Amino acid sequence: MHRIREGVRLNLQAFVRTPLNLVLAIVLPLVVIEGWGQAMAGLPSMPTVEAIPLDLGRMLGAVFGVAIIAGLLGLVQMIHARSADRRLIQAGFPARTLLATRLLMLTVVAVAVAALNFGVLHVLIDPEAPLVAFAALALAGIVYAFVGALVGAIVPRLFEGSLVVVFLAMMDAFLSGDSPLAADVPDFVEFFPLYHPKAALESAALEGTIATGEFAFVAGYLVVLLALVTTVFTLTMQTSGRWAA
Amino acid sequence: MTRTLTALGIGLREQVRNRVLVALLVVLPFAFITLAFAVTQDVEMPVRTLVDGETASVMRPMPDVHGVIMTPITSALIAGLAGLFVMRTASVDGRLAVAGYRAREVIAARFGILAAITLLVTGVSVGVMWLDFVPENPLWFAAAMVLLSLIYGMLGILLGAVVDRLAGLWIMLIVPMLDIGLFQDPLFVQSEPDWWMRLLPGYHPVRVLVDAGLTGTVDSAASIGWGLAYLLVVTVAAVVAFYRVSGIHQ
Repeated sequence: MHRIREGVRLNLQAFVRTPLNLVLAIVLPLVVIEGWGQAMAGLPSMPTVEAIPLDLGRMLGAVFGVAIIAGLLGLVQMIHARSADRRLIQAGFPARTLLATRLLMLTVVAVAVAALNFGVLHVLIDPEAPLVAFAALALAGIVYAFVGALVGAIVPRLFEGSLVVVFLAMMDAFLSGDSPLAADVPDFVEFFPLYHPKAALESAALEGTIATGEFAFVAGYLVVLLALVTTVFTLTMQTSGRWAA
Repeated sequence: MTRTLTALGIGLREQVRNRVLVALLVVLPFAFITLAFAVTQDVEMPVRTLVDGETASVMRPMPDVHGVIMTPITSALIAGLAGLFVMRTASVDGRLAVAGYRAREVIAARFGILAAITLLVTGVSVGVMWLDFVPENPLWFAAAMVLLSLIYGMLGILLGAVVDRLAGLWIMLIVPMLDIGLFQDPLFVQSEPDWWMRLLPGYHPVRVLVDAGLTGTVDSAASIGWGLAYLLVVTVAAVVAFYRVSGIHQ
């Protein structure tokens, strides 16, 4: 337990040491919230196309902004520390403990980014059930942080990994994001990372209800992601056998 | 010249040998653009563009309009990321200078690699778009695509010189999405764009893309000139940044 706490502390320290990252983690989603809201609301209404309300647009922007910040952070964290992690494992540090510190740190930062964004969202709109809405936003961030970590464990190169995360996030935002442009959205979109957190946020903010089904789905999604990240990480961090090189 | 070509050839071979990267550069634009066409509602929408030199609203099928926007987002994003990573490997180029390469040879080789990736991605993106939608003026459209992607590639290099990789990734994802996908999208911005939208990298190329893609005559040719001027400025800035960061001047 002490090792995990120390690991999280060190990871957080390394993140906070770059003030620009902190500033961007706050500023970029704010720009996305307002930009997304204004753009979506500006779409001209046609018989089968309706501009979505400004507040809903802002919510979608918040979900996407938090998710992408967390997703890329997860990716960079995993790749950046790869060789150091391998050395630690070589020195006898358990791979799972190492991964736990990394994922806990990602969770802390994702929740912090979600909290800041939720603060702004709260100023712009008046959510019916604020705490539940915040939980949904934080879950969107955590899910993408884990997705980023998974991609980072599978594709340990930053350019390739970032391409995967970026395009997944864009498709996710377009298909799961209630875009008035999209019509025949395929059924598999339900399995996109943002689909259920976004639905949970909407019901909490607009109707004041706790969408238990959506939250349960996100919880299951996180468990599956956790299992995948753990498997891939332990496999690729083996100090002997075919993955050792 | 021979030494530049040698360095360029080695750099290109290095990229081509990376099968995962090559596959992603082809598969991702294909998936994203095809999906954008497949799910967009097939209805006519008003689009703000230039007609006979005047800004006017014309009705066009929404998938076409969406394709005209999603295609450049794809290539600009990838070119921007490529620029960012060209700069991330700039420190290695200092070794070429130690081995006797002149600064301009190293810069030409490294920027040549970025240009090659940009052209590949632009070609793939336009090719994929072609399956669902053929622009009214293909040559103008292609020229504006290359221009936009090069601008973002150079901006990627600049970013790579100024910020660390995490910050660079965040900015390089969010800026093209907001710039091209929201602030220059003629579906979302129906009135004249605000002054600050005109300063964004996507303003001039996207004007040409919308005009050349959706109308019979190209009235926005001057925007290519402005776009080239924008490209020149960011290229000079990127070269200076690369020169200083890579250590090839020492």
